[in-house]
Amino acid sequence: IYAPAPNSHSLYLDKFVFTNCQNTYIHSFTHSSYSPPHSLHKFADPFSSLLNNNKKIKMASFAASPVSFSAVSCTVKPNQVSNLRRASLSFSGKSSPSRRIPALRFRVACSAKPETVCKVVDIVRKQLALPDDRDVSGESTFATLGADSLDTVEIVMGLEEEFGISVEEESAQSITTVQDAADLIEKLLEKK
Amino acid sequence: MRIGFTKMKLDCYQRTFAHSSSSLTPIQLPAHLETHLWYVKPSEVKNESLLKQYLDILSPRERENVMQMRGEELRKSALLARTLVRTTIARYQINSQINPRSLKFRKNIHGKPEVDWQFSNDSLPPPLHFNISHTSSLVACGVTVDSQIGIDVEEKHRSIKHTVLSFARRYFSKHEIQFLASITDPQVQKLEFIKLWTLKEAYVKALGKGFSGAPFKTFTIRFKEDSIHQASEIVVDSFDEPTELTSNWQFSLLELANSHYAAICTEKHAASAEGKRNVPTKLTVWKTIPFVVDECVSGTDAVKTIYG
Repeated sequence: IYAPAPNSHSLYLDKFVFTNCQNTYIHSFTHSSYSPPHSLHKFADPFSSLLNNNKKIKMASFAASPVSFSAVSCTVKPNQVSNLRRASLSFSGKSSPSRRIPALRFRVACSAKPETVCKVVDIVRKQLALPDDRDVSGESTFATLGADSLDTVEIVMGLEEEFGISVEEESAQSITTVQDAADLIEKLLEKK
Repeated sequence: MRIGFTKMKLDCYQRTFAHSSSSLTPIQLPAHLETHLWYVKPSEVKNESLLKQYLDILSPRERENVMQMRGEELRKSALLARTLVRTTIARYQINSQINPRSLKFRKNIHGKPEVDWQFSNDSLPPPLHFNISHTSSLVACGVTVDSQIGIDVEEKHRSIKHTVLSFARRYFSKHEIQFLASITDPQVQKLEFIKLWTLKEAYVKALGKGFSGAPFKTFTIRFKEDSIHQASEIVVDSFDEPTELTSNWQFSLLELANSHYAAICTEKHAASAEGKRNVPTKLTVWKTIPFVVDECVSGTDAVKTIYG
């Protein structure tokens, strides 16, 4: 396992370490060490905003068929991270022991911190009383999760209480996904 | 899909079985001061092939939206919501038989859904207005002519995560908070809260401007008492709108199927508004399973008028 440089900004994703400083390490892994847990989160590409244009991370592509997974979408802004942070990474699906997973492919990410998204997910899960195996990620829309208007206003109330913010009706109306909510929360927190 | 129809008029106190498996019993448009309300209970629709039939009348986009819902129950109520809208409007046989599948919809500038009538240039679009509301256990569609309409249904015993008063303090007006705070029995307080919520939602939906177009805190819904202190009318007062405009709206509040509150908000017509008298709208309610059976339930236990 690569250890990050002490003063680098890093984001841990279980056994993965990504840094937004000059040295970037990526850890590949064999799936045999993971047992598929229940929940899924969407993976995101933190690199598009982390790296300057010259640097590229070389990543082999992830074989999608044996294991499918996703993780909480996130990026790490250079001025934002001062601690090592954990984002949970979980997997589910069948994995064939004979196949080594080369690496991961990431997609473009959002701007909210993973903890924020996680807290929003928690609040949404509780409000809608979702079963544990219901997949909720940044991309999930409230509507498809079954939130009606009363649920939505209660979710907004829950977010206001959790984060100590105040959400105006116009802003509340524009929130359709978990990600939207997390981004709005961070925007409001920045203003404070 | 062939639409057959019987020659029977859909009078009330009737239970009408569809002529064939794909037919809708036709009905006259509501009159000038009339509102029609149709509802379906998802728990009563279990037949897989019927549900497939419903899926078939939706537009590809609607089908996609239904399939994106997470969970079977949610998919079913989403499917029934679109089915109810399409089949209900198709009943009104505006110019000729309308295939529910051929109806097109669009949203107004604030996002309120409306019918996009596909008539030739010389015919005027019919003045039919509709609005739907659904919970996982009941889907309803209200129809009027010449009048904006908003409806909202909620389960009477729906749970909320916050206390009634903390919710009210965040979203309701001062008068409404006082009204709820004055109720000592918590169960009654909760029921009154749900009623108030449905009325406020129905008003905002009737206005068609979206949640931020008429923030809940900016208007009060209250029960006007008559000379013998009986609640006679539901009225809305708005901080932003002058009285002439808010008095344009009238409300009905019903208990449906012993399980749900349904609030209906419609525009009063010019004639009655001028007269400044509350002309009650006639409300007719049908319980339906589209293509299978329609049952007029007005005047039965399934529909209890609370106000209006």
